[in-house]
Amino acid sequence: MMTGRIIFGIFAGLAGGFATGAGFVAFLTVLGVIPRLTQLTKTMKMIHYYEGAIIAGVVAGTWFGLQETEFFLPQVLLIPIGLADGIFNGMLAAALTEVLNVFPVLSKRIGIQEKIIYLLMALVLGKIAGSLFQWIYFVDM
Amino acid sequence: MNVAVVYIRMRNRVQVNGNQAVRIKDIARIIGPEDEIRMIEDILLLTVKKEDRSIIVVDLAQVIMAIRKVDPGVEVETFGPSQTIIEIILTKKKMSFLTFALVWFLLFIGGAMTIMNFHVDVSMGEVHQKIFTIITGKVEEKPLLIQIPYSFGLGMGMILFFNHFFKKRFNEEPSPLEVEMFNYQQDLDRYVTMNENKENVRHLDDR
Repeated sequence: MMTGRIIFGIFAGLAGGFATGAGFVAFLTVLGVIPRLTQLTKTMKMIHYYEGAIIAGVVAGTWFGLQETEFFLPQVLLIPIGLADGIFNGMLAAALTEVLNVFPVLSKRIGIQEKIIYLLMALVLGKIAGSLFQWIYFVDM
Repeated sequence: MNVAVVYIRMRNRVQVNGNQAVRIKDIARIIGPEDEIRMIEDILLLTVKKEDRSIIVVDLAQVIMAIRKVDPGVEVETFGPSQTIIEIILTKKKMSFLTFALVWFLLFIGGAMTIMNFHVDVSMGEVHQKIFTIITGKVEEKPLLIQIPYSFGLGMGMILFFNHFFKKRFNEEPSPLEVEMFNYQQDLDRYVTMNENKENVRHLDDR
């Protein structure tokens, strides 16, 4: 009876992990953030190592997140972690097709082609401002 | 008798003013014997009238017909696109600063709101608190040490993706946004060439 429960538990956990992992990879593939990074840094050949980095990151995040591990490391480490977190999220936000599809239409409608970069900056500055506002004031309200 | 061969390449897209006469040289590139070219290039195709809306599509067939009407003996070889989109610029559209400012404000507030909604949606704050505890072993209500770099990183990531920082760009490649703009223009052009081109569609009652 017990063995059956354990086997079923392992099976259910594995199945859940498979589905979530596959979904996560599909999400990243659709957004195309990793190809964009290799294109910017001209490191196409290293793309397999980037895959490895993503998998290692996902596994580490899952494990330490679920295990409540504590490392007792200096607080300064949080700054590069936060920055990397932000850059990755920013690239995801920028890659969302909604953003990419809205701008061409918008620029046609209001008849600006050259100044579109300033509209882009509006969105970028808005994200930064909104995020800072939320963490510094909004969470206390 | 020696038959003159001329080669025609239609341009993809041309802009003309209202009331302008459109000659073949405006919409196509002609290659061939000197005197033939001069004659063909000046053939009048159409004059832009007030009633024409913003776009006229000229099909290659119309151009060849016009050429044969003037000189039936010429042999026409064609390559490139088979139609030209003529964009009529009636008045140079001046964009008003107010519209621009409004759209800018809209995007700024919209960007801020959507990111806040997203953070609440995925419980970003709790995740940051948890990372703080994992790394330092301490509990912190407001882990600003992660969150402030995170906020600036958010902007940097978007700029990195679009490969633009105001006028400065990081390398020569077109950015995803420019590619997307190009694709959108291509789709519009394709729609227009199919639907505005009289040579393409033929209804039963047209006969």
